[in-house]
Amino acid sequence: MNVCFYFEVHQPFRLNRFSVFNIGEEIEPFNAYFNHELNRTIFERAVRKCYLPTTELFLELSDDFGKDFKVSFSITGTFMEYCDLFAPQVLENFKELFRKGNADLIGETYFHSLCSLFEDLTEFREQVRMHINALMDRFGYRPKVFRNTEAIYDNRIAKEVEKLGFKGIITEGTEKVLAWRSPNYIYKAKDADIKVLMRNYRLSDDIAFRFSARDWVGFPLTADKFARWISGCEGEIVNIFMDFETFGEHQWPETGIFDFLRHLPGELLNLDNKLLTVSEVVERFEPVGEIDVPFAISWADSERDVSTWLGNDMQITCFNELKGLEKRIKEKGDEKLLRIWRLLQTSDHLYYLSTKGFADGDVHKYFNPYSTPYEGFINYMNIIQDLKQRI
Amino acid sequence: MRIAMIGWEYPPFKVGGLGTHCYYLTRSLANLGIEVDLYLPRMSGEGRRSDIKNLRIIEIGEPPLFPYETEKPLGGDVFESVDRYNTLCSERIDGDYDLIHCHDWLTARAGIRLKERLGIPLILTVHSTEYDRSANLCPNPWLLHLEKEAMEKADRIIAVSYYTRNMLVERYGIDGKKIRVVHNAVNPIGEGRKKEKIVLYLGRLAIQKGVEFFLRSAKKVLEKEDCRFVVAGSGEMLPSLIHLSISLGISDKVMFTGPLTEEEVKHIYRISSVYVLPSVSEPFGITALEAITAGTPVIVSKNSGVAEILRNCLTVDFWDVDEMANKIIALLRYDALRNTIKENAKKEARFFTWDRTARKTIEVYREVIER
Repeated sequence: MNVCFYFEVHQPFRLNRFSVFNIGEEIEPFNAYFNHELNRTIFERAVRKCYLPTTELFLELSDDFGKDFKVSFSITGTFMEYCDLFAPQVLENFKELFRKGNADLIGETYFHSLCSLFEDLTEFREQVRMHINALMDRFGYRPKVFRNTEAIYDNRIAKEVEKLGFKGIITEGTEKVLAWRSPNYIYKAKDADIKVLMRNYRLSDDIAFRFSARDWVGFPLTADKFARWISGCEGEIVNIFMDFETFGEHQWPETGIFDFLRHLPGELLNLDNKLLTVSEVVERFEPVGEIDVPFAISWADSERDVSTWLGNDMQITCFNELKGLEKRIKEKGDEKLLRIWRLLQTSDHLYYLSTKGFADGDVHKYFNPYSTPYEGFINYMNIIQDLKQRI
Repeated sequence: MRIAMIGWEYPPFKVGGLGTHCYYLTRSLANLGIEVDLYLPRMSGEGRRSDIKNLRIIEIGEPPLFPYETEKPLGGDVFESVDRYNTLCSERIDGDYDLIHCHDWLTARAGIRLKERLGIPLILTVHSTEYDRSANLCPNPWLLHLEKEAMEKADRIIAVSYYTRNMLVERYGIDGKKIRVVHNAVNPIGEGRKKEKIVLYLGRLAIQKGVEFFLRSAKKVLEKEDCRFVVAGSGEMLPSLIHLSISLGISDKVMFTGPLTEEEVKHIYRISSVYVLPSVSEPFGITALEAITAGTPVIVSKNSGVAEILRNCLTVDFWDVDEMANKIIALLRYDALRNTIKENAKKEARFFTWDRTARKTIEVYREVIER
């Protein structure tokens, strides 16, 4: 069996506490809106727990297995900026993996934005190009495969991504779209000449969510067990996609996640599996069918739609307010304010406002800097109101 | 199961959570098949009678005694009334009971005596402690002593929140193993129509309640937003609160209602846009649940029991008047916030029924009877 590993590498610019009394004050907005200290703390913790140990482990695996070891990354623009500021070594490790031919890079919106859901896709195109430019600058590489924020996908987005020159696009292998069909094949987007890679969410979540779950029948998950599951799969290609922070942050080192990761490539190769990058997948396989997605899907929560970000009135209000500023902010021509507006589009800000029930709510809480979504709304909305007054 | 419950305040003469709790709890207990003899101080006017099966109301005391209303010593000192009532209860209550259930310091002494005299278990529900009532300023040592004695003698203590439970463990040195947390509940009020922007405080006007912080925050809100503030209820701080609103220059926007009838209370909950519970120390805070069932979103003090059970509300530190104002303004300004909290909170409040409270109370009864 062929296996494709792809990891999402992202950090948002989290917000400062911003009271209604701060609206309209004469303050420098970038420093007033964003909590640089908190962001640095969280980022540096993630560097220690995940980014450095995991990239170093990957470099070791690259030495052990040469070009048989293949992974792909989608690294957001905001993440690269964090690296520039606080952890250049992390970016160097990614570059080294890329240079040695072990890593492929994936395109996305520079700010991990939800702008693909705007009616007008101008902003989406601009952010995708910004991200391509950032990869060109740092890696000298133009990505061939695209992954939209949180794997949000519909026919319209696929068409736009094709127009931007991509050969493939990643999304969730959900039954909502596939029905009886397997995610372990390549599909073609409806009305667009672009190949679609479908995430095998069961096997991906076995690592990302269930790895340390003691009440799960698969527990404990070992590298040889997982390799056997992959070998036993039907189809042509198994796509294992997850957040990079799975390693060391979501699954702590104590769970044995790093040992698992260290042994997984060897076990997979022993059973004659082949590791491929996303670009290789797109080159080698032809679509076995077409997928038609008129309404947006994503990889989030059990609903696998966009309700994680636009599921309640508070989220929709903030999204619409922010979207409504596009014309004025672009006409104003103030680069600093434009950048702030874009940083505010990062999907995490709306994710924090989700009020979904306990089953999904638990996962949300883990990543949430606010004690309730209501506090998050007040803060985010106050900031949007302040930005509005500035343009 | 047959129990003797010693009450104090009770509708229509009630001023706080204890009265509401006794009223609904005894009715739910009776409906669940527990025989309840509820002893109450005899009040002036017509005697109160039970209208349901399994619940008997027995009034004790002559001449009439007066409930706990510190702002006007209705014909006598509250301590004297309490003392007399407890003495009479200790002497007169007799019968084939499985246990005694008393509430707060107000009925603690009778509870302790009856436990000894009748040789049956004692349950003490703590609705508030002297630390709460004094807002941690000069608690009365005599009351602290009585509370501690009752807590020690009781076979089980029911705390109305984990907030209170922790206080009993930390401040009174009570073994947490004998404390059970049984949260209060709410009898839904039903929604009304809201026409203008009203920010409401409703409750006793006592130092414990932090109404002063509510007014200071009102001052800040009014700098940004046009709305009205209503302070509903009575209490010893009424004159100083009126004075404060004048000196803050907001007296034209603040309305003091004085004591309200039950219907007026429902009405004011219904027409308000925001309810604030700014307590310095609040063992539970039933009013927050009442406001929610009237379709009004709430901001509650972090020092409250209700804050630990409610997810769909906003919380503040009582002293942080800037943040309180920020949240009041946010609720007044942002429809999406107000509506989302309102709808989710209404669903959440449905969970807190008096039958639930009664069932949990019965579980505690069984623990001491079946020993």
